[in-house]
Amino acid sequence: MDSGKVKFFLGEVVRNFSRNTGMQVTAIGTVAITIVLLGLFLFVRAALADAGNRLLDQIEISAYLQSGATPTQAAAVGHFLAQDPRIASAQFVPKKQGLAELRARTRGSIDTALLTENPLPDKFRIKVRDPEQVEPVAATVRRLAGVDNVVYGQKIVQRLLALGAVLRRVGIGLILAFVGVAGIIISNTIRLTVFARRREIAIMQLVGATNTYIRLPFICEGLLDGIIGALVALGLLEIARAALWPRLLEALPWVQLTAMPVDARILAAQLVLTGAAIGVLASWISVGRFLRT
Amino acid sequence: MISLRGVSLVYPNGVRALDNVSLEIGKGDFVFLVGHSGTGKSSLLRLLYREAASTAGEIVVDGIRVDRLRRNRVPALRRHLGVVFQDFKLLTDKTVWENVAFAMQVTGAHTRDVMRQVPRVLDLVGLSHKSRMYPNELSGGEQQRAAIARALVNNPKILLCDEPTGNLDPVNTTEITALLQRINLKGTTVVVATHNQAVVDRMRRRVVRLEDGRITTDEERGYYYLGLGQGQVLSG
Repeated sequence: MDSGKVKFFLGEVVRNFSRNTGMQVTAIGTVAITIVLLGLFLFVRAALADAGNRLLDQIEISAYLQSGATPTQAAAVGHFLAQDPRIASAQFVPKKQGLAELRARTRGSIDTALLTENPLPDKFRIKVRDPEQVEPVAATVRRLAGVDNVVYGQKIVQRLLALGAVLRRVGIGLILAFVGVAGIIISNTIRLTVFARRREIAIMQLVGATNTYIRLPFICEGLLDGIIGALVALGLLEIARAALWPRLLEALPWVQLTAMPVDARILAAQLVLTGAAIGVLASWISVGRFLRT
Repeated sequence: MISLRGVSLVYPNGVRALDNVSLEIGKGDFVFLVGHSGTGKSSLLRLLYREAASTAGEIVVDGIRVDRLRRNRVPALRRHLGVVFQDFKLLTDKTVWENVAFAMQVTGAHTRDVMRQVPRVLDLVGLSHKSRMYPNELSGGEQQRAAIARALVNNPKILLCDEPTGNLDPVNTTEITALLQRINLKGTTVVVATHNQAVVDRMRRRVVRLEDGRITTDEERGYYYLGLGQGQVLSG
């Protein structure tokens, strides 16, 4: 492509862009707010998922065998557990070892020396691959022959899973609403530029410029709105993270939060792409509407 | 070069602008379309550059079936045509040079061609010395010459003019008319819709007369009023 063409085209884009500074700032600001919300949502969701996963990772299922279970039954249970794809690991804990572990854990608080015989049954210690599979796996194991009782942190698992689902729904709803608002504002901004340039567009159409060519500068304008808005948002998010996150970590030591639960580069790329997409889509629609009439 | 057969145009509001119009215009012809306001002169031109779509009939412009033209082929048609209006339609924030170059730039012309072609047409219309000026700094006649330069810059075979002298005084009118004649002599087909009697009567070219959306007469060397020169009207 020859440089004169590029220069002419870029000149047109810059002229467009600088024509409605007020509206341009509004559009960029709305995109920025949208992207900040989206970024916050993604960040917090990742942090919570991270903390939740750690809690869930620590949850194990204890499958206690009936006191009269035969070694064959125990072996069959072990064999079944080893074959289930949902299970990450299943470890057989004979009652002697169970007592030893109990003694170690309760040293000083309960005097296990008083026990004349081992009250514990043999058990399997099961870890699942996916926290969501804790309950179904527990239900399956409970039905196996020789299994007496299955114990896991039912309440914690259920609450964490429910909280995650609610958070996701609320967050997605909020973000869709803001993406919509940002889209409408950008499309209005572009419509104003289109209106300001209607004479030029009429002449372009008269001398035989293609619709694609006429559309391109406006698409670029929308793209610029979107990208600049996203960059502003990234700046704000980084400031907020640097200033607030460490304090939050300090204030909530019992919640296992990590300093950086997401890959910053991937998050940044996602946010900028979202901004760009909002901008392009909004301007595409508003110019298209104009060209068709 | 231009051929209309049984062409009708009814606007969405029900107004019948053209009614069964047939017209042949050859390569290199110079044709006046005359008639009162609202008789369909502008509508006929608008059909030719596909600003309006005919409701019936067949339209061929430079080998292109305009009445069957798909929307995305309209730009290709317009690159074969130059169009000039009464109100010039120049961009006030661009210089004369930029206005003329604009027509090439937005159709993807190479910069080299723009640099060669723009001075040529500015020279043809006699505006080379004012190429750096803005439309508001020019007289009406100069603005119309700039508009004609823009219409010609892509080397169209056909120049369509809708009341090109409507906003001009007699002196500028004469200049623009002479310019159109010069352009026609170089081989461009020129179609001029006008109700300027002086222009038509001085030129004595083909005159197609429209009344209520129909062609009533078509004379090889006509006057504005049927069968009468300007002087005869004055004396009669």
